[in-house]
Amino acid sequence: MSHDVMIDLQQVNKFYRGQKAPVVENMSMTIQQGEIIVLVGPSGCGKTTTMKMINRLIEPSSGRILIDGTDVTALDGNDLRRQIGYVIQQVGLFPHMSVATNVGLVPKMLGWDAKRIEARADELLHLVGLEPAIYRNRLPRQLSGGQQQRVGVARALAADPPVMLMDEPFGATDPMTRDRLQNEFLRLQEQLRKTIVFVTHDFDEAIKMGTRIAVLGERSKIRQFDTPENLLAQPADSTVAQFIGRGARLKQLDLRRVDAITWQDVPLIQLDKPVNGAKRQLDQTEGSSALTVDADNRPLRWVNADDLAARPDALDEAGQTVTTVEPQATLRDALDAMLASRDGAAVVVDEHGRYAGTVTLDGLMQVIHHTPERGEPGSGVPDQRSAVAPAAELTPEQR
Amino acid sequence: MSSAAETQAAATVLTPPSRWRGLLRRHAPMPAILAAVLLATYLWVSATDLDDIERRALEADKLLRAAGEHVTLAAQTTVLVVAIAVGGGILLTRPSLRWLAPFATALANIGQATPAIGLLVLLSIFLGIGSSTALIGLVAYSVLPVLQNTIVGINQVDRHLIEAGRGIGMSPIAVLLRIELPLAVPVILAGVRTALVLAVGVATLATLINAGGLGSLIVTGIKLQRETILVTGAVLTAALALTLDWLGGVISDLLRPRGLD
Repeated sequence: MSHDVMIDLQQVNKFYRGQKAPVVENMSMTIQQGEIIVLVGPSGCGKTTTMKMINRLIEPSSGRILIDGTDVTALDGNDLRRQIGYVIQQVGLFPHMSVATNVGLVPKMLGWDAKRIEARADELLHLVGLEPAIYRNRLPRQLSGGQQQRVGVARALAADPPVMLMDEPFGATDPMTRDRLQNEFLRLQEQLRKTIVFVTHDFDEAIKMGTRIAVLGERSKIRQFDTPENLLAQPADSTVAQFIGRGARLKQLDLRRVDAITWQDVPLIQLDKPVNGAKRQLDQTEGSSALTVDADNRPLRWVNADDLAARPDALDEAGQTVTTVEPQATLRDALDAMLASRDGAAVVVDEHGRYAGTVTLDGLMQVIHHTPERGEPGSGVPDQRSAVAPAAELTPEQR
Repeated sequence: MSSAAETQAAATVLTPPSRWRGLLRRHAPMPAILAAVLLATYLWVSATDLDDIERRALEADKLLRAAGEHVTLAAQTTVLVVAIAVGGGILLTRPSLRWLAPFATALANIGQATPAIGLLVLLSIFLGIGSSTALIGLVAYSVLPVLQNTIVGINQVDRHLIEAGRGIGMSPIAVLLRIELPLAVPVILAGVRTALVLAVGVATLATLINAGGLGSLIVTGIKLQRETILVTGAVLTAALALTLDWLGGVISDLLRPRGLD
């Protein structure tokens, strides 16, 4: 079990001289290898302080912090920080150094030779989607904000550190760029499997990025530490619920995919069949609608008995066009497709566009009102569950 | 971004606009003006009927010696001031010593606020006359701009850059040498230029405590009521100050880290 634990905070405290109350009080947290842990909370709650104690930019007053089993206070602070990726909101690229020099700073401090540093910088620029030939000699001010933060991420990854600390890394970019950077980073993380501590005050970002989310209160006290799904479904107390804000149900839809809910079957009508046969088929089935499909089983239109009566001759013109979703789509996409459809159902198609099933509003309702089980599909999160007492009063409707 | 813009941008990066051409454009006028003024003074002096006293005072080797003394004094002052004030400025921006900065600038302020001539005379009472006393006086007088600019220059470096540097594992010394100082260079050099011009001007007073320099011409000119001597001394001093300031400007342009503006 312990070999999976990457970062272990044990009763960490931070006091400042002259301040009565600690900034961080008795913080304990165990982070597994490969997780993105999001620390989220109001400003001034100590989340950044907590993060900075991990790489000892801020020295803990008491308690222990283990990274991969080693107590960080036993290491030289600078050596420690060279082994931990660090990304900040303001990016902090050095304006007088080229992009490649910025990216190669940590390898250089680690004593790599020039050729290897250069190759690594190019590799990383490529990884973050910046063509090395164009960007390596640029100066930071010649890049857009989004490009700068990509370079910031590349610099943090330079020495391939197992652990990364990210302090509101996408906070300073416009919403569209932020969304793109988030998606790119998640895709990167799928390859890299870093252990990441991510600080934000934006709960939506936390839901999107986090394997698990720690909602922090004053003095970095953990109010709830759980997967985004569980957090949304069962906020531990009213403060957490308040922090989640409105639309928790809708946010849940973002987290789940179409392949995670049960699909229903509807009668299919091959287009080449005669209309009368189709009519009979429709009458026999209890559902009111059927789906016309082409020869390859690709869904075309929804039809019901009335449609057939109105257009007895041409089946390919009858009914209403279908809205389709792929199994990987989020339930929010599915909901959108359902709302666009007359029958409140979205057709699931495989990657070739062939009919696979349908999802309905009823199916969605079931998922939302069904408490998530342990171990969400695909998240690979171990069974470490919420740090709050499970008996915490749960009132699903908090408003 | 279109690919055309991209290639164009890449081209500007690969071939930055020649530094030398910009340098020439910015810094060419001053030498020309100085040469014209010096030439005009020379023509005026040679066209004037000089008496014995004037001729003796304006002998070429005498002028050269006075100018040499003046330059030496100014150069020594500059070296000492840079060593003291930049070093002090660095120390006074370290987190553990930052609280001392107001005291140090107050002290430097006193040095500059004291009338230069009073300072020199006071010092000569304690230290005797001569060029080392003049040097001490000049240093005390010109430390302030460099010290203040070093402190301001380092403090104006974006705190996040320093945090980023520390966060990726740079030692405090590395952060100072690779980030803080390079980014503070333009501001520090501006202070050095100010100090240089001050030093050249104040060095004319060095002659009052027997430390030589172009001030001797001016003082002679005043005492003996010989305009040519007075004007020559004053013009040479001003030309020297402007030349050094010009040189400082060129150096500061050459040392300015790229990527700023």
